[in-house]
Amino acid sequence: MALKSVESQAPRAPVPGPDASERELLERVAKGRDQAAFRTLYGNYYQRLSRLLARMSVRREDIEEVINDTFWVIWTKAGEFRGASQLSTWIIGIAYRRALNALRRAKIRPVSDEPFDEDSISVASTDEAETDGQWLSLGLSRLPVEQRMALELTYTLGHSCEEVAAILDCPVNTVKTRLFRARETLKQVLPSLAGMAGENS
Amino acid sequence: MSSRIPDTHAEAWALLPWLANGRIQASDREWVEAHVAGCEECRAEVAAQRKMATAMNRSATPEEAATDEQRSFNRLWARIEASESASPASVAASEARPTMRSSRTVRWLAAAVVIQGFGLALFGFNALRGPSEGIVTVTDDAPASRPNAPTVSIAFAPGASIGTVNTLLEHQGLSIVSGPGTAGNFTAELSADAVASGASANSVADVMAKDPNVTFAQPIQH
Repeated sequence: MALKSVESQAPRAPVPGPDASERELLERVAKGRDQAAFRTLYGNYYQRLSRLLARMSVRREDIEEVINDTFWVIWTKAGEFRGASQLSTWIIGIAYRRALNALRRAKIRPVSDEPFDEDSISVASTDEAETDGQWLSLGLSRLPVEQRMALELTYTLGHSCEEVAAILDCPVNTVKTRLFRARETLKQVLPSLAGMAGENS
Repeated sequence: MSSRIPDTHAEAWALLPWLANGRIQASDREWVEAHVAGCEECRAEVAAQRKMATAMNRSATPEEAATDEQRSFNRLWARIEASESASPASVAASEARPTMRSSRTVRWLAAAVVIQGFGLALFGFNALRGPSEGIVTVTDDAPASRPNAPTVSIAFAPGASIGTVNTLLEHQGLSIVSGPGTAGNFTAELSADAVASGASANSVADVMAKDPNVTFAQPIQH
């Protein structure tokens, strides 16, 4: 089938490559309008962005639209990237701003106003990791989207403080403050994680 | 970050997330590590944050992401193709002429596969042998399109027979005017009669997208 032919032509990097190799891909897109390079870049970021956007409370049906709007910008503006920042911060920053627009359009409240329902956590589970995950989801839903993003970019995507600041387009000290507040909030709702820190504080 | 050595609890505390994820700046690492070594509270906090990072990573894999990826890319690529075919001037004005080396290969492969499935006479295309590669491709000897006619980008399932495809197109008042594109999509135009009866590119694309013989259908914005 024709569409599968496209898939088979797209070299897929299972793990995001270093910035230099991704810049090379972008250069091929900018100068050669190279579909294979574009497809590889898309594959490198698809899961990362899906995860990030889901964490931002972007509706499932809107996630693809935000990702594709992001890569539409990358396709049309590839030649304008000057390398002043990491390529990953440029791409994720575009997605973040597109997602904020999507949230505004959908009028989604960035912070849950619903009461925190501790009863929804399964006490029957003996799997500590599973219980942590449930508490974590509830805890994250209590945070403003900016704090949630600072956490996600730091802990899940492994960005430095300076990279997070570039993506969120704010000063470094603002990132530190957001993470500080997020940590304090999570400690109040995550018994396992808070207990670990709290025992000694 | 700075050459001074703050060595204060508050400043070290603020940097612990990046000590935990291994991305703290080299200029800060030494003094923060030295502080943490002597501070029980910070040591506990680093341990808690590593645990949090592990929990976040564990719960962070969308199950269906991998299966959605190719479908999403196909939609994006159809959008790019539709846009660039709608404004060839902008493509011509770009700094370098698009080489599309890989795209061309895909296009030829897509055409070969489609022709294999549909037959050489379908849609009035003429089958040719590629000049050097020896791969079958198609010409654009397609029906002349009407200006501003509603059009749909569409791709068919591999098992769809010629008869099925023709019936599908006929029922919706569609005729193929070009394709396949790089992603294997055809452009189909809505007949004047279908438009007069109330059909639109959106409505037809919606109907086609639900058919099991169609893998992709989306209206093309003019």
